[in-house]
Amino acid sequence: MIDRQLILHMNWAMLALLVLLFAIGVLNLYSASAYRIGEETTLTPFYSKQLVWGLVGAVAMFLIMLFDYRHLKLLAWYVYAVSLILLVCVHFWGTSIYGAQRWLSLGFVSFQPSEMVKISALILTAYILSSIERPLNFRDLGKIFVIAIIPVLLVIKQPDLGSGLMILFLIGGIVLYHGIDKKLSKVLLVLIPLHMPLGWFFLHDYQKTRLLSFLDPTQDPLGSGYHLIQSQIAVGSGGFWGKGFMEGTQSQLRFLPEKHTDFAFSVFGEEWGFAGAIILLLLFCVFLYQILSVSQEAKDRFGSLICVGVFFYFFWQVLVNMGMVLGLLPVVGIPLPFISYGGTSAMVNFIMVGLVLNVSMRRFMFKS
Amino acid sequence: MSLLRKRSLPSERLAFNFLLFLVGALFIVIAMRLWFLQVYKGDYYLQKAQDNVQRRQHIYAPRGLFLDREGRLLAVNEPSYSLALVREDTPDIEKTLKQISRWTGMPLEDLNKEFERGRRMVRSFENQILVSNLSFDVLTRVETDAPYWPGVKVVVQPRRKYLQGEVFSHVLGYVALANEQELAADPGLRLGDNVGKHGLEFAMESVLRGKKGLKQLEVDASGRILREHTLVQPESGQDLHLSIDLDLQTHIYSVMQGKTGAVVVMDADSGQVLAMVSTPGYDNNKFVYGITGRQWTELVENPHRPLRNRSIQNAYPPGSVFKPLMAALALEQPSIHPGEQVFCSGSYRLGNRVFRCWQGHGRVNMNRALVESCDTYFYQLGEKLGVDRISAFSLESGLGRQTGITLPFERSGLIPTRDWKRERFNDAWRGGDNLNLAIGQGFTQVTPLQMTRLTAAIANGGNLYRPSLLLEEKKLDPQPLPWKKETLDFIYQAMLDTVEKERGTARRLRTKDVKVGGKTGTAQVVRLMPEHKEDDPEAVEYWLRHHAWLISFAVNEDKRIAVTALVEHGGSGSSAAGPVIREIYDFIFSRKQESPQAAAQDD
Repeated sequence: MIDRQLILHMNWAMLALLVLLFAIGVLNLYSASAYRIGEETTLTPFYSKQLVWGLVGAVAMFLIMLFDYRHLKLLAWYVYAVSLILLVCVHFWGTSIYGAQRWLSLGFVSFQPSEMVKISALILTAYILSSIERPLNFRDLGKIFVIAIIPVLLVIKQPDLGSGLMILFLIGGIVLYHGIDKKLSKVLLVLIPLHMPLGWFFLHDYQKTRLLSFLDPTQDPLGSGYHLIQSQIAVGSGGFWGKGFMEGTQSQLRFLPEKHTDFAFSVFGEEWGFAGAIILLLLFCVFLYQILSVSQEAKDRFGSLICVGVFFYFFWQVLVNMGMVLGLLPVVGIPLPFISYGGTSAMVNFIMVGLVLNVSMRRFMFKS
Repeated sequence: MSLLRKRSLPSERLAFNFLLFLVGALFIVIAMRLWFLQVYKGDYYLQKAQDNVQRRQHIYAPRGLFLDREGRLLAVNEPSYSLALVREDTPDIEKTLKQISRWTGMPLEDLNKEFERGRRMVRSFENQILVSNLSFDVLTRVETDAPYWPGVKVVVQPRRKYLQGEVFSHVLGYVALANEQELAADPGLRLGDNVGKHGLEFAMESVLRGKKGLKQLEVDASGRILREHTLVQPESGQDLHLSIDLDLQTHIYSVMQGKTGAVVVMDADSGQVLAMVSTPGYDNNKFVYGITGRQWTELVENPHRPLRNRSIQNAYPPGSVFKPLMAALALEQPSIHPGEQVFCSGSYRLGNRVFRCWQGHGRVNMNRALVESCDTYFYQLGEKLGVDRISAFSLESGLGRQTGITLPFERSGLIPTRDWKRERFNDAWRGGDNLNLAIGQGFTQVTPLQMTRLTAAIANGGNLYRPSLLLEEKKLDPQPLPWKKETLDFIYQAMLDTVEKERGTARRLRTKDVKVGGKTGTAQVVRLMPEHKEDDPEAVEYWLRHHAWLISFAVNEDKRIAVTALVEHGGSGSSAAGPVIREIYDFIFSRKQESPQAAAQDD
């Protein structure tokens, strides 16, 4: 299955970036999982768990790379169906944490089907679009829309607005990349903004307050605006050079909420300063660029569309998470890839990269 | 590569460039924001982060202690626990207040009111004290639950404890929670602080209080203290050694039990007050704990006015204890000779008014008039001397004006003059007024402390000192009595005779090995009675009874002391006030004979 050729064509730059980002993530989690009491520092074992998840993710990534990604075409519908079933299962038997029913317990480990559906929806969309060699007309778009909207609604219902929007944006990104019929796109340009305000009525109350407190965080500094304010204080107080590893007062003294998950980047910004944050940002941008170049080198449109999907998967997360941490966007529960703690999402990140590497290493193979 | 182009739709080329643009835009937007937050506004956010972590807290300075002249403790500080709230750490104030109400049993409305009242006076991130003086039960309950209630703090404050309670209540006064006016007037006070309200606690507030220290705390998000270091050490208040003798004071207080009145014992040579008792006393500790409305009403509505320090805050007509001063004034006149005799038939006629003496003394000279307290003799002196001379002389001798002792709310009493009467009653001064004035009746009012000071001056050779309560203060502001030496000697002897002579009114005071002089007084009460039940003859009888006065000095080889006792509605000076001073002398002069070791063992 895997021959020497493939190993030679391995995208080492991509792999190196992956390792680097993940290492930074674990290091940062080590600091984020510490909190000070008196002169002592106590660690909660987030970083070590993340390390285990990373290793599991690496294995999954390796498995994904073993077979030619084109075989995924055959599996696309089945995987999609299975993930939808799991999503429905979550609805009935899921465990809830913080009032959101997102996890499915498998006895020894629990995972989030909403993460899995991101992969399956991505592959299915790429598969369908790869067979359409023209800008999408109304019928094509309708088909894609139905494929996208079912998991999105199920995920939002959990409620997990962040992941729901993620899937929508991810698929939307691929669709835009593929191109839409000119007339149709003009109609959509008018219709979509008109329907946006309707979305307000589908939001939960806590989501509304988050949105409002984003517009004016000072209105309720100890309530819903707290995250935004404290996160900006953390990042801002880092200054140019940062406070140093494990020295961030905002995170060590727990003024930062969710510091190991959604706000892990503010811990990083506080401790490593502008210098560190800009390097991390640069790494992400190079990483994204790498994915894009693989999409251009891919030997078929299916591979190239998969890469575009993965690109959007990471792009949106980086944009929304950093935007949120820096107070540019409202609080939405989107983690920063490789940096935020989260088992399932780490797995998915690795699998996503695995897909890109798969496409990349088989770029010179002709149809077999 | 040509193959690649074939695979792409033409629009995908464009899209690729667009995606590259997205990555670039992401970098630029986020990088600019990072620059803005971390470099441009970095200092601002650094300050904010420090404000999060660092809090300043006051360290209470222990209030100066009170000790008696032998160094025995009178007022100490003990730890007291208060419940405080840090608003910024409290996620749900309404719920927390409800919980506090559950813990302490304090009604929720009161707590809400207290919270609203105090929040303006407390800076952010500082403790706002809501409930002071937690009982041990409440304290344990709060301590166990507090970790689940962020923002709730138990604060330890020093609290005053008066070891002898009512015995020293009028001298020491008390501290209590500072009220809004006091907080506004004094920047050193914080909500929940105690401040002196009465007595020496009030008068010496600035010396006793000390200075609060400041410490910096490093806290985490839930307000838990991680590290602290002291920025400013607290300075404890100065201890005050009183000139008062604990044993003497306690003894006098017990002697005065059941009587309403005042006793002042003064060291005649230094002007130091050795004992100052006013009865009934009150438990000043109650004020420290926060007096309840009922306790307060009880104190205020008690007709015997326990809150009042009778030795300085009440002025009484002096009655016959005024006579030595009258005699002295007469001796200062070249026209009057002490040997001249006046016939006392038991009354004295002025115009068509008759003024009574308490008995017919027959022919009396000045000495006998003093010793036997003959009113008739002094009526004729009053007629001769007149109000102008009498009142001027009285004022110069220290009556009718504040003595200046370091206690608040001292009354000056009253020495009437012509002008005063015209202003007060729109009436001219009449001959009869002179006669009343001469025997210490009528308008004249003096405080027991004023009389003690005058007696001390008679005993010490004519020096009026400002009475002092502190051991280190001696012979303050000496002023000579405007009396000639012969006058002083004459009065001194007459007062000794009052004790020693067979018919002297102060015979009771005779003490072995000690020279004792005295003068009794029985002051008629012309005052409105407090409310009472009309059908209670005993009560009516009590409130109509005369005030009993006795001024006295005692001299032996090593000390000269002056003692004044006043018993309100006690009847005659000799029979009501006499035994009190008798007990005091017994106590002072018999205790002195004990060996110092034995006395020390008693402590």
